[in-house]
Amino acid sequence: MLYKILKKENYTDFVEKLISEYEFIGPKKKDKVFHDFVPIKDLRELDTDYKKTTIAPAKKLLFPPTEELVEYEVGDVIKVKPLVESSEKILFGIDACDINGMNFMDWIFSTEFIDENYFAKRRKLIVIGKDREPSETCFALSMGAEYAKDGFDIFLTELEDRYFLRIATSKGNEITEKFARIQDATDSDFRDYDKFMDDYRSKFKLKINIDNFYDDFEFIYSNEKYWEEASKNCYSCGSCNLVCPTCFCFNVKDDMQLNLKVGNKMREWDSCMIPEYGLVAGGHNFRPTKENRLKQRYRCKLKTFVDKYGKYACVGCGRCIEACLAKINIVEDVNSVKKEVSA
Amino acid sequence: MVLDIKENKSKSTIYVPDIATIKKVEKLSPIEKLFTIVFDDPKKQEEFSFRPGQFVELTVFGLGEAPFSIPSSPNNKKCFQLCVRDIGNVSGALHRMDAGSKIGIRGPFGKGYFPYDKMRNQNILIVAGGLGLAPVMSLIDYILEDRKNYKELNLVYGALDPESIIFKDRVKEFEKRKDIDIHLTVDNTDASWKGNVGVVTKLIPAIECVPEETFAVVCGPPVMYKFVVKELEKKNLRPENIYLSLERRMECGVGKCNHCHIGDKLACVDGPVFSLWEIRNLKEAI
Repeated sequence: MLYKILKKENYTDFVEKLISEYEFIGPKKKDKVFHDFVPIKDLRELDTDYKKTTIAPAKKLLFPPTEELVEYEVGDVIKVKPLVESSEKILFGIDACDINGMNFMDWIFSTEFIDENYFAKRRKLIVIGKDREPSETCFALSMGAEYAKDGFDIFLTELEDRYFLRIATSKGNEITEKFARIQDATDSDFRDYDKFMDDYRSKFKLKINIDNFYDDFEFIYSNEKYWEEASKNCYSCGSCNLVCPTCFCFNVKDDMQLNLKVGNKMREWDSCMIPEYGLVAGGHNFRPTKENRLKQRYRCKLKTFVDKYGKYACVGCGRCIEACLAKINIVEDVNSVKKEVSA
Repeated sequence: MVLDIKENKSKSTIYVPDIATIKKVEKLSPIEKLFTIVFDDPKKQEEFSFRPGQFVELTVFGLGEAPFSIPSSPNNKKCFQLCVRDIGNVSGALHRMDAGSKIGIRGPFGKGYFPYDKMRNQNILIVAGGLGLAPVMSLIDYILEDRKNYKELNLVYGALDPESIIFKDRVKEFEKRKDIDIHLTVDNTDASWKGNVGVVTKLIPAIECVPEETFAVVCGPPVMYKFVVKELEKKNLRPENIYLSLERRMECGVGKCNHCHIGDKLACVDGPVFSLWEIRNLKEAI
């Protein structure tokens, strides 16, 4: 890691150069409430001080909602061609918890088998992170995801008159040396950064009582009344999955063009909250009720990957709380489990 | 960590199937057929090696993909077989295909297999229900081909009715052989049936086995596991010696799509065969 300083008067010039040199993706205001990561052609479109989380997490750049994986031509001989897309892009203005979400996705798509459809894009993605004030529903601090240790090339922290830059990769170093007027961070820069981080962490007001959840979950697992109450308003719509930066479930489908000669194998996002998710041929459904499904979601996010990944598969961005039409709230639910156990 | 993932020079992906040809189609029951398959690329066919209990993802081009366990012996390097019930989109389309048709195959997948290596010099009790006989056929053949290295081999097999029994010729062969004891039962009988009637669990108590020296293998419809496990536990079999092949919806086969989650396990990469000990506290498992 290299620590550098970019003065505020040089920031605009730096970002403008990046916009003109690269395919540049950043947060843009979409309407009164939401921002979204979209291609940016002009600096004026870019708004990194968004108060709410972006509507869709940046995972869509690496793992799009639908993606063709393989193309084939049928006939006497079947020709199969892998479809692997990769072009260099900059992802700018992603916050720490979303970077941690992307780190989880990197782990998923590289464990056991390397998913080239994902990694071809990931290798070419230059990530420039930036701190952001937590939204009302953000509980990233309790999840240990408010700070990004890796997964970015450059991370910008805004101090009073300058940006504190953490440069994690040689690519990041190359870019700053080429496009930005930077200088080495001094002791006083580190002091200000340290103060900023304390202040930043104090802004996370929403707390989730997660520490004992790993074992408490087993206590609550068979309490049917609890899960009935927790899931009773669920519409099984899957909104929570669509907005989640760590949800990675997908279906693999085959599709044929109308000429019946060319087809493809593609994937599309799936949702563990919809009834068809656990359905197998023959009609047996392994998770037929919404109680089963909500339980599975919490287990997947807060327990399963503690075993496999060593960390939670939830970064506390709070998008699911904002997106849920039935006002199901993961923080309230986890906190109420704690209450049930300690009662 | 991203930098650690090396550039993939071939630009291929884990979703690309290998082309194979259906060489033979045999009807096993009113709803099940046995397909004999050979890869078009002889090198791929030569390299294709699997362990009993593993599965492949089969593509019907233009229609979709589905997972199937391999019932043929791993020692057969010339071809492999899949036993398919006509029940879904892909399996339905497969049933309409004849010898000569082209399909796609990815795999074999699954780290969890029937542990034929640990089972050497042990007694083996196999309990199969319905189509569940297909995945364990691979293990049975493997053991029969290396028979001297295994002790007692018992197969308990239950089918819905006499007509639904799959691998009928093999079942008849097993009945004649001295080196395998087969215990057959059907739920619904007809006039021709002279054997046992009822569920497989009824036959388990009568089978003698030394608990410390016996491995059990269970494969069948989801409802069967809980009851069979109870019977096996009554016989004091050790949980780490009871192996279950669990069916889940496996879409990608490579541990990415997450559909086959059972607690902290994935059926496709951690299974599909698990020991009872591994899944003991996973309440959704059985």
